[in-house]
Amino acid sequence: MAQVDVLNRRRGRGATRALAAGVTVVVLAAGGCLLQPREAEPPQTGDIVRYLEQIDPANTWDNLETSAEATHAPGWEGAINADDFRYIPDSAAEAQFPGVFTAWGTAREVAFINALYNADVTIVATMRNPGFVVPPSSGDESVWENVIYDLRVTSAIDGSSVRYRGSAIITFTLEGNFWYITEWRDQQGESDPDSGQLLPTLGVLRGNFASK
Amino acid sequence: MTGARQAANRLGAACAVALLLGVCLAAAPASRARAQAGGGSEGQPGPPPGAALRAAREKAVAASAAADSLAAASADSQAAAPEAATPEIPGRFLQSLTSSPVAGVRANVRQTTFYSDWTTDAKLAAKATANQALNWSWEEYRKQNKTVENRKGSLDYNFGDQLPLVTVINGNWNWSEDRTTNTAGFSNLLKVDNKTVNLNATQHKFNALGLVNSVRVGGNFTEQASLNQDLRNDFNEGTAGANAQSGWQALPGVTVTGRLAGTTTGGTRLLGGLSSPSSASGDSLGLGVYVDRGPGTAFFEVTRSNFEKKYLEFRRNANGMIDTVGVPEDEKVVSELETRDAVAMKLDYKVAYGGFKSEFTGTHLTDDVGLATGLAGLKQRAADEANLKVGLKAGRDSLSVAWKYGLKWDDQRIKAATASRGRQYLQERDLVLIWKRHLFTATRLELQYHEGLTQDIAEGGFNANDKDRLTRDFTSRLERGWADRFRTSMVFSWRQTQDLSIRGASSSNNNAKDSYELAPGFTWKISPLLDLDQSYRLYIQYTDYLYSHLAAVTRKDDYNKRGDLVTKVTCRPSGRLTVTIRYDWNRRFNATKSSEDAAGRSLYQRDLEQDISRIDLDLSYAAGPGITLEAGTYRTRDEKTARGSRSTTRTDSGEMIVGGRVDRKLGRQQRVQVSAMVKKVNAFGPSITASSSDYWEADAWLKWTF
Repeated sequence: MAQVDVLNRRRGRGATRALAAGVTVVVLAAGGCLLQPREAEPPQTGDIVRYLEQIDPANTWDNLETSAEATHAPGWEGAINADDFRYIPDSAAEAQFPGVFTAWGTAREVAFINALYNADVTIVATMRNPGFVVPPSSGDESVWENVIYDLRVTSAIDGSSVRYRGSAIITFTLEGNFWYITEWRDQQGESDPDSGQLLPTLGVLRGNFASK
Repeated sequence: MTGARQAANRLGAACAVALLLGVCLAAAPASRARAQAGGGSEGQPGPPPGAALRAAREKAVAASAAADSLAAASADSQAAAPEAATPEIPGRFLQSLTSSPVAGVRANVRQTTFYSDWTTDAKLAAKATANQALNWSWEEYRKQNKTVENRKGSLDYNFGDQLPLVTVINGNWNWSEDRTTNTAGFSNLLKVDNKTVNLNATQHKFNALGLVNSVRVGGNFTEQASLNQDLRNDFNEGTAGANAQSGWQALPGVTVTGRLAGTTTGGTRLLGGLSSPSSASGDSLGLGVYVDRGPGTAFFEVTRSNFEKKYLEFRRNANGMIDTVGVPEDEKVVSELETRDAVAMKLDYKVAYGGFKSEFTGTHLTDDVGLATGLAGLKQRAADEANLKVGLKAGRDSLSVAWKYGLKWDDQRIKAATASRGRQYLQERDLVLIWKRHLFTATRLELQYHEGLTQDIAEGGFNANDKDRLTRDFTSRLERGWADRFRTSMVFSWRQTQDLSIRGASSSNNNAKDSYELAPGFTWKISPLLDLDQSYRLYIQYTDYLYSHLAAVTRKDDYNKRGDLVTKVTCRPSGRLTVTIRYDWNRRFNATKSSEDAAGRSLYQRDLEQDISRIDLDLSYAAGPGITLEAGTYRTRDEKTARGSRSTTRTDSGEMIVGGRVDRKLGRQQRVQVSAMVKKVNAFGPSITASSSDYWEADAWLKWTF
C-alpha cells in the first residue's frame, strides 16, 4: 500500500513539473512576441501635440483641452483614471438619454472620446473659465467645484457647429506619481456668453455617441 | 450662501433631534427587554453579558449596513413576506392587506432629500396579488441653485389563478419638476409627466403538436408631456406585441427551438408646436439549438430583427447632434423615418472533465440603421467576438488561460452622399495566464501574465487617428500564514504600456511606460484586543518618449518614484469600543532626463519632491442594541519642493466626523422601525469650499407596517 502511495506521489510530482514547465514555456513564448503593435510614422514638424506632466490637477485638466483641440485621444485617455472613473450627467442630459449613463466608467469614456474624434470633427475648447481659481492640491485628492468648460464641435462633413458649455464638479486623485480624473459630475448647462442661449453640457454629446 | 448655511444648520439640528429621539425610543424597549431578561434569570440563566453585547453589536453592525437607504426598508418587507405566507382562506376574496408608510431624509455634501413612500400589498383569492406604491421626494442641492420634486405612483395586479394565462396589469405614473438656475442667472424648468399602462399575459411551456411551447401577448399605452426650455415634447402612443416560442427535442439532450415576435405602435407626437401621427412596427425571428449531453453543454442561437419607425424629430447634423441654431422656426422639427435591420449569432460551449474546464463564447452582430430625413443617413455596425477559457488543476497547481479576440467596425453614408465614409475598425486581442501553486505548508504562490493589444484603424485613412495600445503586465504574489495570528505577503509587479499613434500628425507623444511595484506587508493579530497591519509600497515608473531625440519634440523622458508606508493599529479595549489608528507616510519625486553620458547611461534631474503624511483616527462605540456612536478624524500634511524655484510649499487639510447610527424595531409586534445615521462633518484644507467645510450627512427613516 505504501508503495502505491509513493508511486501516486511521484506521478503527482511529475504532473506538477510538467505543468510548471508548460507554464514557463507559455509565458516565455508569450512574453514580448505574441502581440506586436504597428510601426508608427515619425512626427511631422509643426503638428506636435504638447501635453503637460500630470504632476498637478491643473495640468491634467488642461491636457483635456490639448487633446480636444488636437483630436488626439491618448491625451484624454491619459487624463482619466484607468481603473476608477465615473461620469455623472446633469438632469437635462439624463432626461434626454435615459439609462445611457448607467455605470459610465473608463471603458465607456474611452469609447466615447474615440468615437467623437473619429467622427471627422474639429474642436475649439476652453476647459476652465477665466474666473475659476484653481485650488491648491493637498494630499491625494483634489476637488474642483463649479469649473465651467466650453467646447465648440464642428463637423467637417456638413460644416455644422454645436457649442457645449457646462459647469461641473471634478474630482482628481493621485495615483502613483500623477493626478487623474476619477469623477466628472456635470451640474448644469451654462448660457452662451454671446447670445444668452442655454447650451447643453458634454453629457448630451456623450449620450449622443453612446446611444448610437 | 448664508441661507444655505442656515438651512444646513436647521437640517443638522433636525437630524440631531431625530437621532436623540431615536436613541430614546430605542432605549425604552431595550430597558424593558433587560427587565424581562432579569426576571427570567431567576429561573433560567440568560446568556453571558459579553456574548449578548457581541450579538447586539453584530446585529447593530448588520443593521447599520442595511440601513443606508430606503431599499433596506423595502428589502425588509420582501424578506418578511414569505414568513407571512399563510394558507388561503376559502370564500374570502381579500386574504390579507399590508400597508407600509415610510418617511425619511437623506443628506450629504451635495444635496438634501426629503422623501415619503406608501406601499400597500394585498393578497387576494386564487393567488392573485395587488401592489400599490406612492412616492414623493424633494431634493435641494447645496452646490448649485437647483431643486427637484418627484412624484411617482404604481399599481400592479397579478391575476394569479383567476385566468388561464399568467396575466399582469401594471400602471405607472412619473412626475417631476427640476428647476435649475445656472451661473449666468438663466432659470430652466425641466418638467416630465409620464403615465403608462401595461398588460402582459403569458403561458409558459405547454405541450401541443408534439412541441413544448410558450406564448406571450401584451400591450401598453403611454401618455407623456414634457417641457424643457419652454419647448413641449409630448406623445400618446399605444403598442401591441406578441411572441411565441416552440421547442422540439430532436435527440436526448438536444433541443431545437424557434422564436417569432412582432410589435406595432401607433399614436401622435407633439414637438415644438408641430403635431404629427407616429408609428412603429418591428419583428424578429430566431432559431436555437441547445445541447446538454455528457461532460458539457452547448448552444447556438441566431436572431434576425428589424423595425420601421416614423416620428417627429429635431433637425440634427451628420453626427446626430441637435443643430437648430440659425435655422428657421418651421425647419427646426422634421418628420423622420428610421429603419433598422440587425442579425445576432451566438455560439457557446462549456466542458468540464476532472480537473479540466473549458469555455468558449463566440458572437457575431450586425446592425444597420437608416434615417430618411436626418443628415446622418445610413449607419452600419458589426461586431465579432470570441472568448476562450481553459483551466487545469493538477496536484498542487492550477493553470488557467483566457484568450479574447474582438473586431468591431462602423461605417456611415451621409444622406445624399455617393459613397460611404470608410470603416472605422477597433481590433482587440487579450491573453491572460494565471498559475497558482501551493508551495508548502500555508504558503501560496500566484503568478499572472497579461498581454493586450487594442488597435484603432480607419479604412483608407479617412482620419489620422489610427493608434495602438499595447499593455503587458506580470504580477507575482507570495502569501504565507505563519500561524493563526501572523500573515505575510509580498507582491511584485511589472507593467508596460505602449501608446502609439500611427500617423505622423500625432505620433510625437508616442511613449512606452514601464512601471515596477514592490509591496511587502504583514498582518499580526497580537491579541484578541489588538491587530497590527503594516505595508510598504515602492513604485517606480519610467516614461520613454520614442521620438524625444528629435529637436522638434519637446517631451523628455522621465522617471518617477514613490514610497508609501502604511501602518494600521486596530484596538478593541472592550466588546463595545473599537479604535483604529492609521498612519500613511509617502514620499515621491519626479525627475526629467537631463543628459546621457558616454556610456549611454541616462541622467535625471529632480523637478519636484513631495512628502505627504496622513493620520486617521476612528472610533466606534456600541452604546446599546442597535445603537452605535461613531467619530473619525484625519489630518494631512503635504510638503512640495520644486527644485527649479527652490521653494517649498506646505498645505494642511483635515476632517472631523461625529455621529451615530440607530436601527431598532419598536412595539409589541415590531411594526415600527426606526433607522437613523446622522453625522456632522467639518473639514478644512486649501481645496475645501464653504459648502464642503461644514455639513451634515444623514440617512434617517421611520417605517410603520400595519
